[in-house]
Order: sequence, then C-alpha cells, then structure tokens
Amino acid sequence: MTKDAKTRSGIPLKAFYEAEGGESGDLGAPGTFPYTRGRYARTRSGGSWIQRELSGEGSPAQSNELMRYLLDLGQSGVDLIGDAPTMSMMDPDHPLSLPTAGTQGVSACCRQDYLELLDGIDIEETSVSSSIPAVFSIAGLIHAARHANAAPEKLRGSTIQVPLYQEDCSYRIHLPVNFRSRLSADCVEYCAKVLPRFHVFLEDTYYFSESGLNGVEEMALGFVEIRHLMRLLISRGIDVDTFAPRIAILLNCSMDFFEEIAKIRATRRLFARMMRDEFGAKDPRSQSVVITSHTSGLAMTAQQPVNNIVRGSLQSLSLVLAGVQAIEISAFDEALRTPSRESHLVSLRTQQIIDLESGVTKVADPLGGSYFIEALTDDIEKRIWDMVLDIESKGDIEDLVDQGYFKEIFHGVMERQSQNVASGEEQVVGVNVHQMPEEEDTMLRDLTDSKFPPCKDHIERIKAYKEGRDQSRLQAGLQPILEASKTGSGNLLALTVDAFEAGATAGEVSGTFRQGCGGAYDPFGQVEAVI
Amino acid sequence: MAQAKILIGVMGVDQHENGAVAVMRFLKEAQMDVSYAGLFNTSETLLEKAMDEDVDVIGISCHSWEYIHYLPDLMERLKAAGRQVPVVVGGSVLTARDRDELNKLGVAGVFPAGSQPDDIIDAIRDLAAERVRERTEAALAG
Repeated sequence: MTKDAKTRSGIPLKAFYEAEGGESGDLGAPGTFPYTRGRYARTRSGGSWIQRELSGEGSPAQSNELMRYLLDLGQSGVDLIGDAPTMSMMDPDHPLSLPTAGTQGVSACCRQDYLELLDGIDIEETSVSSSIPAVFSIAGLIHAARHANAAPEKLRGSTIQVPLYQEDCSYRIHLPVNFRSRLSADCVEYCAKVLPRFHVFLEDTYYFSESGLNGVEEMALGFVEIRHLMRLLISRGIDVDTFAPRIAILLNCSMDFFEEIAKIRATRRLFARMMRDEFGAKDPRSQSVVITSHTSGLAMTAQQPVNNIVRGSLQSLSLVLAGVQAIEISAFDEALRTPSRESHLVSLRTQQIIDLESGVTKVADPLGGSYFIEALTDDIEKRIWDMVLDIESKGDIEDLVDQGYFKEIFHGVMERQSQNVASGEEQVVGVNVHQMPEEEDTMLRDLTDSKFPPCKDHIERIKAYKEGRDQSRLQAGLQPILEASKTGSGNLLALTVDAFEAGATAGEVSGTFRQGCGGAYDPFGQVEAVI
Repeated sequence: MAQAKILIGVMGVDQHENGAVAVMRFLKEAQMDVSYAGLFNTSETLLEKAMDEDVDVIGISCHSWEYIHYLPDLMERLKAAGRQVPVVVGGSVLTARDRDELNKLGVAGVFPAGSQPDDIIDAIRDLAAERVRERTEAALAG
C-alpha cells in the first residue's frame, strides 16, 4: 500500500483491516432494519435490478425510436434526459434554444410531445424514469397514460428532484428556492394519491455532485435536501408513511470502488434510522430506501475513449455488489458527444454480462462482514452525518441557498477537482498518466467525432402547434397557475396537467410560475408572456 | 508590467461550468486579469462585455455543440466592429477535426480535452502580448 493512502473522500486507510467491533455487530440481515446490507433478503437471478440507459435525442419521435431500440436490446426500463432547453423549462422555439434543441437529449415541451415520446411503450410494464423537470415529465406521463388507457396505479418509474441546488449547478430554471421546494412537495402530494407506485421524489445527488463533490459531500447535501422536503411535507399535515416509500435516491458512482460500496451501505443505514427515529415512519418501505445510480460522467475522459468502457464496468460492478435497484452506465463517448447507439449498446451489454455471467448476483451483500467494508461503511456514515448536522446548524436551509452558501461549495469543488487532476494527485489514465499522442489516440474516434444538428423540423412543428391553439382555452389553462403561484394555494402539478390539456407548453407554464413569483416571464427577456 | 486581460464566457444554454472554472483558476494563478461573463451568452452579449471591459482575449468554454452556431456569428461581429480581439475556445466536446474547422474561421486558439494548462496560458499570453506591452509602456510613460 502507498504511504498515507486515502479514499476519494479523504478517509485515511490502514494497510489492512481486522475485527474491531463497531457497527458490524448491529448489521442485521439483508432485508431487515437498518438495511445496511440491502433492501431485500434475496437477489433474483437475471434482471435483479433495472438495467437502463439515460437516453434522448432530437424530436420526441426520434427519441421514441431510440427507446424502442434500447428495449429491444434488453433494457428493462427507460430513462429519459431532456436537451438543455427542456431541462431548463424552455421551449424549443425560444431564441436561445434554436442552436441546441434536441442535441443533448430529447426536446419535449407539451402534451403531444409526451404522447409521441411514449408511443407504443407498455408503461404499465416498463418503468419510466426521467431527468426532465418533474412537474412536466409527470404531467406528460399522466397524459400518455390517459391516451393509452393505462392504469395510473400501475405506473412505475421516477423523476429527479433538485429543489435546493438547481440554480447553483447545471440547469437553471430561474425560480426562487421556496417555490422550487413547493413544486417538489406538490408533486409528492399529488403522486401519493394518483401514482402510488411511482418514485416521485428521486433525490438526485448525481445532478449536483458532477461538479466534483466527493462521496461524503454528495450524500450530506443529498440528505439535507431530503430532510428539507420531509419537513415541508410533514408541515402540510401529511402522514409520513403515505409518501416516504415514494422517496428514492439517484446517486453518483465514481471510480473509488470500495468507497462507493460503503457510501451506499451507509446511506441505507442513515436513511432507515432517520426515517424511523426522527420522522416516525413505521412502514418498512418508508425506512428502506430504493437506490439507483448513474456512473460518473465526470470520470469519462475524452482521451482514449475506449478506456471509459473499462471504467463503466468497474463502476457498475461496485453498484451491483452494493445492491442497488437500478443502474445506468454513462456512455463511453459521453465526454465528447451525445451518446451514440454503439455506446449505449456497450453499456447495456456490460450490465447484462455482470448480471448473467459473472455470478456476483447470486448472494445478497456478498461483501457484508468484510472488516474493511464494514469499517469504511461506519466511517463514511459518521462523516456524512457530521456534515449534515454542521450544515443544518448554520441556519435555515433556504436562507443558505439564497446566501450562496451551496453555490460556493460547488464552485470550490470544481476548482479542487481541476487542481487535483492538474497536480497529478488524482491519477487519471490517459489524462495525467499514460497519455498518448493525439495522432495515436484513434481507437473509436470515428464514433466520437460525429455530431448531429438541432431538430429544426420539430422546432417548426412547435411553432405551428402554438399558432394553431385556441388562445382563450390556453389562457384559461394558465390563469389558475398564475393565481396558485401568487397565492401559494393549489397543487401546481395538478394545474400543470390541466394546462397541458389546454395546450400549454413547459416554457409557458414555467414563465407563468415566474410571473406569479413576481419575476420575469422569460429570464432572458426575449419572449412575451401569454397572460 | 501590465496584466493580460481575458474574458471567459459560456454560450447559449450550455450550463456546464467545470471547464470555465478550472481554466479561470489557472489563468489567475498565472497573474492574468480574468473576468467571467458567466452563462447564457450570445455572440452579441459576449462581444458587448468584451468591448466594455476592453479585454485582450475572449475565451469561450464549451461543453455542447452550440459553439457551431455562435462562433461564426461572433467572428463576423468582431470583423464588422473592426476589432481585432483574438478568440480562443476550449472544451471537452472539441475534437482534433473541430480544431481545423475553427482555425479556418479565424479562431486563434482551440483547446480540446487534454490541452495542458501551460499551453493554454502561453497561447493566451502570446495573443495578449502586444496590448500588454502597450499598456506597460503607457504606464511607464505616464
């Protein structure tokens, strides 16, 4: 072992581990409280977790074709990503959207788009997960279910939620934090009644940890966000066991193999104790959190892209050993382009090989009881919780967001990450060690070099769709959203479902949210308000 | 000696900032005067900020394909304004093939993934050298 070895989160490591007591005596069996060893006592051979690829490109019809291709390859659930405008609650015909619509994910903004996107997909049987802003992806899913005569109570899947950190990293929606929290809570409250099997609150620690947060920071910020939402929902007088089973966590998986496993085990234990002891959840489903993961896109390198296939294999193996419920492997060409079909194929086959050939899925929590894994699980658990309590001691969480406390954390770790790679402290093959001259780095370059243009035809369709609508019906659909945004009463998701029916688009609904909050309809000042 | 002045910005609705933050960090460490135009720039707004701040070099960080739209427009606008501000572009989505295309457009420096910080610093320093010398001389004369 190298001198002073540490995990990615900076946890010091010993040369070897031996029996030391600690939490290990309190482990319990897999499938029992506190669920350190997993949610279930038994694994199932063949498809014991949902295997999927985060995908979407071009128009809804083009993405539908991509999803069908992936399902034909054996994908067991769909996982949608929007293009930058869709993720930012903007329509494709916004002047800033035009150069990018459809190039990094699907362009979807209205009822018709979601019907086309999910056309022919058996949504009663196939779980539909989405990284598209929850209020719109759920409204779209509900319309698709109505259209296909699918029973809402059978629908499974999830939507990501990042109410606290959305404006501080990645896709901005230009809404204040208290409104974003309310939007999340409204989604949870609505779905608890309408979509009882759907994971409406997928705490997305992946979303904000790609700035370079380590595992401890990632989960601490994730727990801060979950706890914030829990308190908000409980303050509405809702029984915790009616919504807690619908909370799940989507986490990041970096290259630190054992730390990722320990992080997931510690997360399950922390979640179980928090739900039972702090929030009074009694239902075992409220206490045992469903965990899903995307392997880190940040770990993917533009240099020697074939190496990313190996990275994805290692990361997904650690996730399987940790016992997660769904996995998405970032595409090997992700650093350079919107994933090619070939890279999606390789990612799915990687999961299938681990599942069906490696034999690692035959036993639940195969690493349970390992001196090292248990010590690391205990250590990381303590560090995560210390950080949660430290952040909460600094004051009201929404005030901290407004004061830029979290933004500073994200920017700080971006700098730290670049410094660690530049200094060689973090070794990355092909980047700062074992580099290759550009002219020799040619393997798979034909795939990584190809690009596709924005979906201009779809933009034109949306323009025509807007022209052809009954304007008074549209305004009648948006008016209640304006009122509800101003007054704070009314369920914003229920109203968005109605507004979609009336022909409204995501850009128009979000603009109306902003108006109601006293902000500008279009944050870029280029589009006029509908009402 | 005066400092080289550079403006860094991200275009359109590309909202990946890691690259911009990383580059700004080492340019500042190299004693450059770095200002950040932030996210959501168009060629028009970026040019305006560059003129306001009278920078020596404009740097664009890209993690999406939006640069294909904005770069030709920015180069046109610079030409129309009669300003010789060199433009450099960096980002993981840029490939060796893209570099040739961008160079043809008149982009003065293209830095795909794997570009070394020292190479980026040296290139920007060279592009800014003449204006830095003028400012230094003016300061000495003044």
